[in-house]
Amino acid sequence: MAINTQIKNPAQKQIDPNKVLRFTKGERLSHWVHAIAFFVLLFTGLGVLSTFFQPAMLGVGGIQVARLIHRGVAVVFVVVVGLMFFVGNPRYHWEWLKSVFNFTRADLQHVTAFPKEFFGAHGTYPPQDKYNGGEKINSLITIFGSVFITLSGMVMWFATSFPPGLVRWAYPVHDLSMIMMTAATIGHMYLCLLHPDSNPALAGMINGYVSTKFARSHHAKWYDRVKDEQNNS
Amino acid sequence: MTRKMVFVDTSKCTGCKACDVACKEWNELPAEKTHLITSYQTQKDFTPKTWTYMTFIEKYENQKMNFLMRKAQCFHCAEAACLKACSSNAISKTDSGYVVIDHDKCIGCGYCEENCPFGVPKADQANKKYYKCTGCIERVENNLKPACVHTCQPGALEFGERVVLLGQAKKRLTEVQKTNPKAQIYGEKEMGGTTFLYLLLDRPEVYGLPANPTIPLSLTLWKDVIQPVGGIAVGGAGAAVAVGVLANLLRGNYRSSEDDSNNHANS
Ligand code: HEM
Repeated sequence: MAINTQIKNPAQKQIDPNKVLRFTKGERLSHWVHAIAFFVLLFTGLGVLSTFFQPAMLGVGGIQVARLIHRGVAVVFVVVVGLMFFVGNPRYHWEWLKSVFNFTRADLQHVTAFPKEFFGAHGTYPPQDKYNGGEKINSLITIFGSVFITLSGMVMWFATSFPPGLVRWAYPVHDLSMIMMTAATIGHMYLCLLHPDSNPALAGMINGYVSTKFARSHHAKWYDRVKDEQNNS
Repeated sequence: MTRKMVFVDTSKCTGCKACDVACKEWNELPAEKTHLITSYQTQKDFTPKTWTYMTFIEKYENQKMNFLMRKAQCFHCAEAACLKACSSNAISKTDSGYVVIDHDKCIGCGYCEENCPFGVPKADQANKKYYKCTGCIERVENNLKPACVHTCQPGALEFGERVVLLGQAKKRLTEVQKTNPKAQIYGEKEMGGTTFLYLLLDRPEVYGLPANPTIPLSLTLWKDVIQPVGGIAVGGAGAAVAVGVLANLLRGNYRSSEDDSNNHANS
């Protein structure tokens, strides 16, 4: 897979042999648009949810401005990431989607061993593919959370076009999705920013490459496949 | 102040709409363009500037038509769904049983309107605030009757202590049931007991009212389960991260990985 992008993109041809391409430009764009939009939506949404956060909305010009931002950024949150599945080089988006819905035994073993690793000890689990069990769960929470928060958000936005019985259910669905995604995000940020063993993965989402050392120790199954493909080409 | 009540005796109502006018006058609400909905009804729903209006149901029985008339306004529920749904603590309930909106706090989110079983509060689109019947709380607190009660000519509206008026309403019901066997009280138990309590001449559904209005299950789930449990879950995630950072510090993991990540950053 990695070799294909390298052929398509000559600038990436002469790369450091100690590095592996993990995320293409398109994937990184999707990730960061989604991430930034998520935080803006969370911030402005909390201003509506509770009077505790409402005073903070003065920072963006008041609660009514925050409500407008929430709607505007919601469109970005949905449309930009949605489009990335169809324009440019969407192959990797679909591969990611397919991969996270294919939850294997090795993934399960990763997830059960991971709590140890989360708290800084060593867990043992079989070699992981491009996405390990934990990343797949985080992806699934993001996928289902985004779908449900979008559907419920649209019902709340255009409340007058829907029966009250449906609008009433949209509220708890919107909040439950928000809570699941926020909790997942907290863990996600800890792993990429503050967890010494997982932190090298962050480079992959910033400039696209991770070290071969990291790839081999964390995603051996994926790394071997990439190497194979490179050698056979 | 003790719990108050307005008894709306529809058996005495003549549909004169003076209550509408008195409400507009006292609350300084402008008149709005009206449309014929049925033969006598000229207002379809509440608006931010119309807090009470008359509904006219034409009921045909044995080739004869009867009007079922009802003055509609906020019920001022003891267990108010709007109050529970409000995002901004803008809705409160007085000891006297009145449910009032504080317009300084209201942000116009609309959760009250969507959750009210009667769809009472309505938004002013210009200032993004919700309005509804205040029950003339400022008159009541100064020992005056609400404007609509004050003006009612046939005596269909009565204001007083809830305990006293409720007894009176039940007595009146037995009398009315002699000629209208389907007559019933609406608001004694509904929504924990409403401040505006009705004597209806027929089943509530005939008037377009919900037979068993309740706090929506989705609202209870949202405010009493998902929000508090979710808050704990998010707090738990934060706590786990704090413990994780501490554990990594104690194990000296940050030191040993330092050179590692520096390598990545430099190369
Ligand atoms: C993706 C499409 C989304 C749409 C269309 C949407 C729309 C809405 C709407 C219409 C409201 C009602 C509040 C108001 O009228 O201003 C709302 C509330 C809220 N939204 Fe969103 N939203 C979306 C995504 C998100 C995301 C990603 C988050 C956070 C991670 C979020 C968090 C919230 C919160 C916390 C509330 C307040 C809920 C409450 O009062 O309990 N929303 N949203």
